[in-house]
Amino acid sequence: MLDIKNLLVRRGEGAQAHHVRLPNLQVGAGEILAITGESGSGKSTLLEAIGLLLAPVELERFRLGATQAQDIAHLLATDDQPALAAVRSRHLGFILQSGGLLPFLSVRDNISLPRRLLGMSAKSEHIDHAVDVLRLQGLLDKQPQALSIGERQRVACVRAIAHEPLLLLADEPTAALDPLSARRLFELLLSLVSSMGLSALVVSHDWALLKDFGLPRLGAINRQGETLFEPMD
Amino acid sequence: MNRWTDRLRLLGSLALQDLWHDRKVSLCIAASLVAVIAPLLLLFGLKHGVVSQLQDELLRDPRNLEVKMLSNGNYDTAWIERLRLRPETGFALGQTRSLNTQADLLIGMQRFVEGAEIIATEPGDPQLNLAALTPVGNQVILSASAAQRLQAKVGDSVQLRALRRLDGVNERGEMTLTVLAVLDGARFGRAAGFVAPPLLLDLEHFRDGYQVSAFGVATGKPLGNLQPLYARARVYARDIDQVAPLEHWLNEQHIETSSRLADIDNVKAINHVLGLIFGVIAMAALIGCVASMVGAFLANIDRKRKSLAVLRLLGFKRRAVGGFVVLQALILSLAGYIGGLGFYAVGSHLFDYLLGSSQATGTFVCRITVWHGVAALLLTFLVAALVAVIGALRAINIQPAESLREL
Repeated sequence: MLDIKNLLVRRGEGAQAHHVRLPNLQVGAGEILAITGESGSGKSTLLEAIGLLLAPVELERFRLGATQAQDIAHLLATDDQPALAAVRSRHLGFILQSGGLLPFLSVRDNISLPRRLLGMSAKSEHIDHAVDVLRLQGLLDKQPQALSIGERQRVACVRAIAHEPLLLLADEPTAALDPLSARRLFELLLSLVSSMGLSALVVSHDWALLKDFGLPRLGAINRQGETLFEPMD
Repeated sequence: MNRWTDRLRLLGSLALQDLWHDRKVSLCIAASLVAVIAPLLLLFGLKHGVVSQLQDELLRDPRNLEVKMLSNGNYDTAWIERLRLRPETGFALGQTRSLNTQADLLIGMQRFVEGAEIIATEPGDPQLNLAALTPVGNQVILSASAAQRLQAKVGDSVQLRALRRLDGVNERGEMTLTVLAVLDGARFGRAAGFVAPPLLLDLEHFRDGYQVSAFGVATGKPLGNLQPLYARARVYARDIDQVAPLEHWLNEQHIETSSRLADIDNVKAINHVLGLIFGVIAMAALIGCVASMVGAFLANIDRKRKSLAVLRLLGFKRRAVGGFVVLQALILSLAGYIGGLGFYAVGSHLFDYLLGSSQATGTFVCRITVWHGVAALLLTFLVAALVAVIGALRAINIQPAESLREL
């Protein structure tokens, strides 16, 4: 599904520059992988690079898709921004730290917006399924500011998968939640990913939670001016 | 999102939903526009109303268009024709010597007007302003005063009588005229009859001692091949603005004239001064309006930076985000314009109601034309577009990655 080899991104310039290196990453359909590390280690930078929001300095391979995998590395090398934006809006789904819901749209419209942008029908079975699983039926006509933080994160989860992406990228989705809600959200996320056959990358620093769910983990190893992300146990 | 109309509809509905969600701020921006548009429309309405009323008064009285030739001269048909063909001239007609333009009008023995003015007229005469009615042959249009003294009405027969002294003998010529119309009292104050030009020439020839069969006399010199010579001309300018050049041309021909140019210049000066005052006020208000709207818009975009970044992350292109901002500016300016127009309608009615009936101010009007309204709308859109472009330039530089970073 997702296959990356030798990714190097740089944040900042000159002496201030910080490098983030990812030697190897493979995530299959229905698999979820956690990215862990201390604050400032470059987790978000890595996520931005995988989310095609930040151009890498070096890249050997970046393929996305099941049978006909798309060569993203080529698009990045030629800096084909329109094509990258198209891949991003069609095949990637983002869950942001604070939800990132649009305050002026109802929950229902927030969820259907990615589909409408792509010209897909606003309704779909798996949205209904996700709404059921996350118990959001009663909230569909509310505005985001009327929801609790936990509810907003659940809505953000549904929005991220609404357009049936291949890869789900979540940036500390449980950071703002109490432990119980965090655990529940994680459970739901896992079940959605496996039932829909997505690949998912979740940035988190909640070690205990990850351990409990037994997720495979990509950990940060800090060196001088560089962070290396390697599989850990 | 296959068709651009679908995209535009989605963009429009998002822009509207955002404005409605932020309705307090939207109301503030629209209200700031109303606060500029309504007073400017009222001010312009007053200026336009006052000036156009003064101009109407000028136009209503044809004497304001007339350039009077003060002394008698000798002008042949060719000269009159040249005068007519000048672009400044609206109407020109040769006149006989003033003494010869008088005759008596009578009906029976009891009703008569002694020494009524007999004036030539032709189609398009501004003095009469009767488009469809022009006397031909033996027809006459009576002034209100003459008609009253003769107790004549349309269709009556009136005797025209002129006297002359030929070879020491007093002679009397008469002809019968039919009343074609009676003029409104305001059009011409004195007792007069308006007739076709040949009839006036006949009258002059009769006075000058020629044999004119129309007057029923067989005496006098034969007319022969007499070319008409006019003593002066009745001249009207094409419009108010042409009075000055027309008078100038006549003066160049060494013809003394008088006109109401001073009154016309007064109105023009008032128009100029009011226009200048309005222009300066409008400019100051527009600059303030643009500045306040630019500020409000930029602050708004900064406030919505996160939402705009999320829209970019979800697949909105740069130009779509720019369009989002421009669309909102246009919607707000349209709302401001409609509000301003509403306030203008109320304000102008208030002016007309409170001041229009007052004796001191005369008839007082505050009005704008449809074209002024359209011009104001376009100006509003121009201001909005200017503001929106500044806002959009900032908005399109918002990167989708910003949605991931917490500030």
